[in-house]
Amino acid sequence: MLVVSGTTLLVLYFAGQRMVVNMERELQLEFQGALAGLDNAEEVRQAMIVERCRTLARRPRIHAALEEAPELLYPSARDELNDLMNAGEASAPSVQAVLRAEFYRFLGPDGRVIPGGNENAAGPLKASEEAQLDLPSLPKKQETGFLARIPSTGGEALREIVATPIISAETGEVSAALVLGIEPFQLGMRRDAGIQAGIWLDGRLNLPSVGAAERAALAREISSAIGRSPDGVSSSFRAAADGAQYLVFYRRLNPGSVFRPAYEVCVYPMLGLAARKRQLRWEVIGAGAALLLGAFGASHLLARRLSKPVEILAEESERAARFSADASHQLKTPVAVLRAGLEELLSHEHFTADECSEISELIHQTYRLSSLIGDLLLLSRMDAGRLNIDLQEVDLRLLLETCLDDLSALPDSAAVEIDVDLGADLTILGDKGYVAIILQNLLENARKYNRAGGRIRVSARKAGAGSVLVSIGNNGPAIPAGAQVHIFERFHRARIGEDVPGYGLGLNLARELARLHQGGLRLVASSGDWTEFEVSFRAPPPKAGEPSGEMRAGGRLGT
Amino acid sequence: MTGRTCQRLLLAVLLCFSCDGALAQAVVEGRVQLPQRHSAPVLNQRYEIVSKAGVLSISPPVGVVYVEGPFPGPTPPQTATMAQKDLAFQPSILAIQAGTRVEFPNLDDTYHNIFSYSPAKRFDLGRYRSDERPIPSVLFDTPGLVTLHCDIHEHMRALILVLNTPYFAMTDADGAFRLAGLPAGPRVLKAWIDSRTTLARPIELREGAVLHVDIP
Repeated sequence: MLVVSGTTLLVLYFAGQRMVVNMERELQLEFQGALAGLDNAEEVRQAMIVERCRTLARRPRIHAALEEAPELLYPSARDELNDLMNAGEASAPSVQAVLRAEFYRFLGPDGRVIPGGNENAAGPLKASEEAQLDLPSLPKKQETGFLARIPSTGGEALREIVATPIISAETGEVSAALVLGIEPFQLGMRRDAGIQAGIWLDGRLNLPSVGAAERAALAREISSAIGRSPDGVSSSFRAAADGAQYLVFYRRLNPGSVFRPAYEVCVYPMLGLAARKRQLRWEVIGAGAALLLGAFGASHLLARRLSKPVEILAEESERAARFSADASHQLKTPVAVLRAGLEELLSHEHFTADECSEISELIHQTYRLSSLIGDLLLLSRMDAGRLNIDLQEVDLRLLLETCLDDLSALPDSAAVEIDVDLGADLTILGDKGYVAIILQNLLENARKYNRAGGRIRVSARKAGAGSVLVSIGNNGPAIPAGAQVHIFERFHRARIGEDVPGYGLGLNLARELARLHQGGLRLVASSGDWTEFEVSFRAPPPKAGEPSGEMRAGGRLGT
Repeated sequence: MTGRTCQRLLLAVLLCFSCDGALAQAVVEGRVQLPQRHSAPVLNQRYEIVSKAGVLSISPPVGVVYVEGPFPGPTPPQTATMAQKDLAFQPSILAIQAGTRVEFPNLDDTYHNIFSYSPAKRFDLGRYRSDERPIPSVLFDTPGLVTLHCDIHEHMRALILVLNTPYFAMTDADGAFRLAGLPAGPRVLKAWIDSRTTLARPIELREGAVLHVDIP
């Protein structure tokens, strides 16, 4: 008992822990999903910019100006870039508006800005801003970076800069570069789940939705995290800023760029995370408590019943009757409630696949619990002598065929081959429901303990006038001789079946039921690769007489 | 005497009068050592502008040999043609005397937009098609090398070498050249090989004499 409840608690504890861990992972996935969604849109725009810059870098006028007429460079480019520079004037947000350039400059062979932009309407830049565009040498490929501008209105604004090498037709080498300044893509765009997004550049965090003090503290944390692994492209960590806890994800926006590194930063306040964790933990604890309650109730009642001598039980038939009703209510209801609750939980959408499969496993366990309770109730009803068997003529052939159909519908039934050999006139006296339970138990055992690719043989024949014998045999390891005498005991499980699901009730139940039918169940053989059981039933009298009415099994069974 | 011989005689007489009044003319001929041809001759025997390490040259190699001016006297009005055909300039290199007007007929079905940013001549003819009349033209009045571009077709390139002399000739593919009808006197013979290389050689031209010069 203690072991069971301890194990259950432990399992639940770990399941809960895993769910919490999963949730953090889920959040990270959510973040990555949001980034990926953004990435796609950004990629399209990036591709447009790349293509546009590449086209510009090939324009004959720009080449001619670089080669022969430096003073014509910016005026020539102005004509070429006219549409980009004036794109923002369109009132409606359009493709052009997305591509609106704010400024452009050319870098000379030394990587420094070729002067003349301000005089030639290439977008005004302060000297300090222009200096940020200088590179140690000309870029060999297209490079992306960010420029922190200080608008006259105060604060600061980031501009994405794209540098495109211009390859000289004369030398075939990079002779200059075009640097285009554009508005960063949809910065500060609202993301799901309270994630706030910004950009980290040069130790400063551009995240308008966070207060100045927290922003500065977060910027310090991010700077030190980036400083610890300067080559890291993306990472996440927890940060405390101004008393609040945050989960911070960051990702290099321009990996490998010659421009200063810029990072996209997503900040998630832990307040929300903690609340979600608490909620999830309560859900898990609730489910666990219900499960434990059910298990305790079941084991408590059963322990009381099973530990008492049967003689006393017989004397307490009134109490036994009440027990059945109680047990039925007290065991089945909590399990049903538990299952309903778990199914309800499963229908919530916010679980990951891992969590869903965990919950499904719990639901599966409730079914096993139900079937165990069913078996135990049946046994205890038999023990209490309160099982009513309604003996009627039953067509055993039909029943066997149905059971075999059910068996072959099981998922792993393909692994075994089933031989059926049914003789003529297989009518028996029995209660259809209980005979079916006997047959199902035997057939399921034959399947469960079979080896892969093995065989099940089912045969039924009339033995003399009074009885019908059904034998069910299967391939598989033999039951050790020492264990053979115990297999019909309650809760006995053969060593070979340690990895097979079950509680060791099936054979006991089947034999008790067979005896109630005035028949029996015995192990015919178990050696080598073959195990065979034989169950006997009573055949109806040859002459159609009065069918046996309702009979009550009294006292200990097998009398 | 055939008609053809008559024409030649007439031409010779005309040349006598036009060439600085000198009665007898000198001839200079020889060979310019052209750069090695880099690639096997292609089927398309058109010359094209190639650039290597910042130097524009003609492929297959061809040179322009000329007697350095100035030569006094008025320059007669002249025209030359630089066509655009099959998305290329034809010819790839054109040598002209300063003061020559060059016409740029578009023989393609598409637009071209010829321009030059070269200090010797900056112009932009804008877009036009083959039906543009009069044929757009530019007067080149300053000696120097002019690089032609098409704003629409980035690969199109051509050179116009504007010279301060009427005495110039293209070499053949082997570098052989012949300049006739030259005025006597001490002159400088120059050979343009590419945009960075113009070789010079002082020569003494004598009346009626054929001077043989190999450059270098």
